[in-house]
Amino acid sequence: MPAATELRGSHGKAAGPVLTKDFGTADLHKLGVYEKVGGYQAWRKALTTMQPAEVTGEVKASGLRGRGGAGFPTGTKWGFLPPPDGGPRYVVVNADESEPGTAKDRYLMENHPHQLVEGILIACYAIQAHHAWIYIRGEYDLQHDMIAAAIAEARAAGYLGEQPLGKDFPIDIHLYRGHGAYICGEETALLESLEGKRAQPRSRPPFPAVKGAWGRPTLLNNVETLSTLPWIISNGGAAYAKFGTEKSPGTRLFTVSGDVQRPGNYEMELGKPFSHLINDLAGGPFPGHSIKVWWPGGCSAPVLTGEMLETPSDMESLAAVGSMGGSGGVIVADDRRCVVRCAYRLLQFYAHESCGKCTPCRVGGDWAVRTYERVLEGEGTAADLATFDRIQTGLAAGRCLCGLGDSAGWVIQWTMERFRDEYEEHILHHTCSVEAGARA
Amino acid sequence: MKLSDHTLKEIRELPPKYPHIRSAVMPALDLAQEELGMLTQEAMTQVAQALQVDPGYVEGVATFYSLFHLEPVGKHHLYVCNNLSCQLRGAEELLTHIKQSIGVSEYGQVSADGLFSVEPVECLGACEYAPMLRADHRFHYDLTPATIDALLKEWRGHGDGKKARKEAHPRAGSH
Repeated sequence: MPAATELRGSHGKAAGPVLTKDFGTADLHKLGVYEKVGGYQAWRKALTTMQPAEVTGEVKASGLRGRGGAGFPTGTKWGFLPPPDGGPRYVVVNADESEPGTAKDRYLMENHPHQLVEGILIACYAIQAHHAWIYIRGEYDLQHDMIAAAIAEARAAGYLGEQPLGKDFPIDIHLYRGHGAYICGEETALLESLEGKRAQPRSRPPFPAVKGAWGRPTLLNNVETLSTLPWIISNGGAAYAKFGTEKSPGTRLFTVSGDVQRPGNYEMELGKPFSHLINDLAGGPFPGHSIKVWWPGGCSAPVLTGEMLETPSDMESLAAVGSMGGSGGVIVADDRRCVVRCAYRLLQFYAHESCGKCTPCRVGGDWAVRTYERVLEGEGTAADLATFDRIQTGLAAGRCLCGLGDSAGWVIQWTMERFRDEYEEHILHHTCSVEAGARA
Repeated sequence: MKLSDHTLKEIRELPPKYPHIRSAVMPALDLAQEELGMLTQEAMTQVAQALQVDPGYVEGVATFYSLFHLEPVGKHHLYVCNNLSCQLRGAEELLTHIKQSIGVSEYGQVSADGLFSVEPVECLGACEYAPMLRADHRFHYDLTPATIDALLKEWRGHGDGKKARKEAHPRAGSH
C-alpha cells in the first residue's frame, strides 16, 4: 500500500532545510503531527499579527521564485492583482504536475499535505481571496485524497472555514481534478479547464491577475511555491534569502530520474552544482557507465552534456549555458543511450500533448515525429538535417501562444547542437554506434 | 448503455459546487464513466440534459481529455508510463510483456475475458519509482515482468475486485 511506500529523496537525517525538513517524521500527513512540528503557526502569525501587505512584503524579501517552470518572482506576481473590489478573487493552485521527469509536487502532496494547505491559506490572506481552487492532475488519486483529508482536518480544527482562528476572514479550499492533458500545466490552459472547457491557452493580455478564473482576478502558484510559504512567514524572508544565490535564493526540490543509482526527490540549495545532486545525492551513474546527456529542469529545459555536470543549479547559471531551471525535474541518461532516440520519444510527447490551437505546434510536432521515424528506420537523407532545422525554427521565438511549441523546438535544436555527430551518423550513414555498442 | 437514475441524481447535484455550471461537466463525466466504464453517446447526451448544456459541448470536452474513454476498456485498464524516465528503466519491455500476458496485439484492445486493456501514457509523475503504472486509481511501482505477472494473477483471482476510488486508498481515510 502507498502508506508503506519507501520515501526516495530528502527525508530523515538527509532532509533539506526548508521544504523537507520534517520528512521522515511518522504520520506527518496527520494534523496532530504537523502541529507538533510547528504546523499552522505561520498561518496564525500571518492572520493574527500581520497585514496582508506585510505578508506579501516578506515573500518579496525572500526572493522566492515560482517553482513551476517559469521562475517568476512570487512576491512580484502577487503584486499584480488589482485592489479588492468586493467581488470574488481566487488563488488557483497548479497541482497539474506533468512535465516529464518531475515528481516533486507529488512527493510534497502525498507526504506533507498540511504544509501545502497552510501555504494556500497564507496566499489567500495576502491577496485577500476567500476561495482557493487546487487543480490537481486526474492521475494523482492518492494525492487528491490526502489533500482532501488535510483540508477536512484543518476545517474541523478551525484553521479555515467561516471564521479561521476566530477572525472574520472566511476561506474555503476546493479541489478540482484534471483529466489527462499536459497543457493544463500552462496557467491559462489550466484556467480554461477549471472553467470546464477544452484546455487551450488564452492569449494575453489580459493576464490572470486581472482576468483569471471565471473572469475574476486570480493568483496562480505551483504546489512547491506555496509549500515554501509557511517557512518564509515563520522565519522571515531575509532568512530564506540567505539560502541560494542572490538572484535565485532558497532551496528547491529536484526530482532525479533515469540512469542514476538512487532516483528520488532531493531538496538542494540553489547554486550548488548539479554534480552534487546527481552524483552525491542521487548516487551517480551505474558502475561502468558515465553520464552522457541530462535535462536539468524537465524535458522542456534544453539538454546539457555529461561534461557540464559542474553547472551551478541557480537559474542564471543555467541560462548562461543555454538552458533553464524549469520544473526541477532532472532526467539523466548514460552512455548506452542514443540521443536521437531520446529526442524522438520527447517529440512524440509534444506532438501528443499539443492542444491544436496554434498551427506551428499542431503541425510541427507531427512533422518532427515522422522525420525522426524515417531517420531511425535508416531512411534518412541529407535533406533531413535541414528539415529538423526548419521545424525547430518554425516552433521557436513566440510563434505559438504558449511555451509548448518552443519546448518541442528546443529538444530538436539542442540535441542537434550538442550531439550533431549522432544525428549525422543516423541520417548520413544509417547506423547508430551507441546502440551497437550497448548491444555488444 | 444508459446512466442510472442514481448517477443522474448525483450529476444534478453538482452545479452548486462551482461558480459556473460548465465546471460541473467534467465531474459529471467522471460519475458517468465510473458507472459505465466508458462514455457512450447516450451517456454524454444524458449528462448534457441533466446539466442543461449543449450535447456538443459535452462531447467536445470528453474528446479533449485522455482520461475519458470513448471506447470500451477492460475491467482493469492499465496506464503504463513510457515517457523518457520510465523508458530508460524498461517501460517498453514491460508494455510488450503486458500485451503478451493479456493476449492482445494492440494498445486499447480488451482481453478476451474482458478483464484487461493497456495503454502507454505520458509521464505520471512518479519518476523515482520507474517503471510504473496506474490501474484502478492506484500507482504500482518498480515494475518488472515478475511483479506484472503477480498483479495480473491477483486481478484474475478476483475478477470483480475492481476497487472504487474511495476504497483504493485506506491511508487517506486514516486521519
